[in-house]
Amino acid sequence: MVMAIRLEYIMSLTVLAGEVMLKNGAETSRVEETMEHIARACGATNVECFVIPTGVFLTVEEPSGRSLTTMRRVKDRTINLDRIAKVNELSRRLADKRIKYDDARALLERIAQERTGFSLLPSMVASGLVAGGFAILQDGSALETVAAFCSAAMVRYIAHVVSQMHGVRFTFEFLGGLTAALVGSLLYSIWPFLNQDVIIVSGLMPLVPGVAITNAIRDIIAGDFLSGMSRGLEAALTSVAVAMGVVLVLAVHTVR
Amino acid sequence: MFVVKVITVLVIGAAIGVLYRIPRGVLVYGSVTGLAAWLVYYGLSGVGVGIVSASFFGSLSVGFLSEILARALRKPATIFIIPGFIPLVPGGQAYTTMRFLVEGRQLDALAMGVQTILIAGAIAFGIFASVTAYRLAVTNNSKSEIDHVDKS
Repeated sequence: MVMAIRLEYIMSLTVLAGEVMLKNGAETSRVEETMEHIARACGATNVECFVIPTGVFLTVEEPSGRSLTTMRRVKDRTINLDRIAKVNELSRRLADKRIKYDDARALLERIAQERTGFSLLPSMVASGLVAGGFAILQDGSALETVAAFCSAAMVRYIAHVVSQMHGVRFTFEFLGGLTAALVGSLLYSIWPFLNQDVIIVSGLMPLVPGVAITNAIRDIIAGDFLSGMSRGLEAALTSVAVAMGVVLVLAVHTVR
Repeated sequence: MFVVKVITVLVIGAAIGVLYRIPRGVLVYGSVTGLAAWLVYYGLSGVGVGIVSASFFGSLSVGFLSEILARALRKPATIFIIPGFIPLVPGGQAYTTMRFLVEGRQLDALAMGVQTILIAGAIAFGIFASVTAYRLAVTNNSKSEIDHVDKS
């Protein structure tokens, strides 16, 4: 960079990049490294960042010795690995000086706002395919596969409705487990030749907290124990929420 | 039946990719990682290896393959790890544990619960071990390339 960029701009670009990555489910070390690369590429001489799953802290220092510190709280977290890959790519381009600051800023804002990926219907189909696939892997019959497909697609629809209500955490997982178990046991009571276990287990598979598990492992490998532990806890609590939904149905079913 | 299952695993991998919003261009690599993991798992349990060890080796292959793909395609490794390990998740065992608990079969539930935890731990440790081993190997090979690994 020939012309120096104002420190305030560096800071806001960097913290926005960190926020976007953290919001969409990147692991701690990746967020920290990306922020550092971006700030250094823009001309900061000293960069310190500290990232936990619920917030980003950043200090940037310019050659004159002036430094700025900011903090960004991250509340709503979703999962969108596409955005992470895009911000990652952006930081690489900035570091290689293949993109100017202004363009980077505009691109980042677009990444943060655009609706990437897939809308409701494809997500429902995908969720159903995961469940149907697991039914086949467990040697389920064709009918069981179809039942698993339908229950998982329904679970994804519920997720869509719940996410729009900004519900309490783990509501969706609980309701998902409940729905999958309900569908399984209802179908079993109508057609007893179906294997309800296969339907329920398959319906649960799309609820596995894949990102939380992966990030917990990767954070702990990288030495970010604070984030690793909290993500591990998130994964555990998610599983417990799913289990509670299933147990509720099974308990009623068994008592009757 | 085997061919059907292979295709099924590939479909599961792509579907998980859609669920987690993996960039469209690399969906197929996620599927391949999942298939590799499942093949290792299925093959090993077919020749009589215990289910916990089979899961461990399955997830070991997930870790290695994901790091290699992440480096080759310059994408975060997470993208390949998630569709990779989900076919190994002990959903059936976890469900059976719950079912035993509800039916009041505490001892069976305990045994099944321990198996679930062991499989889950084996998967986590498999990824842990392979990623660490890969990083060690890469670090020893060429110091200058570490930067690229960190960024990719």
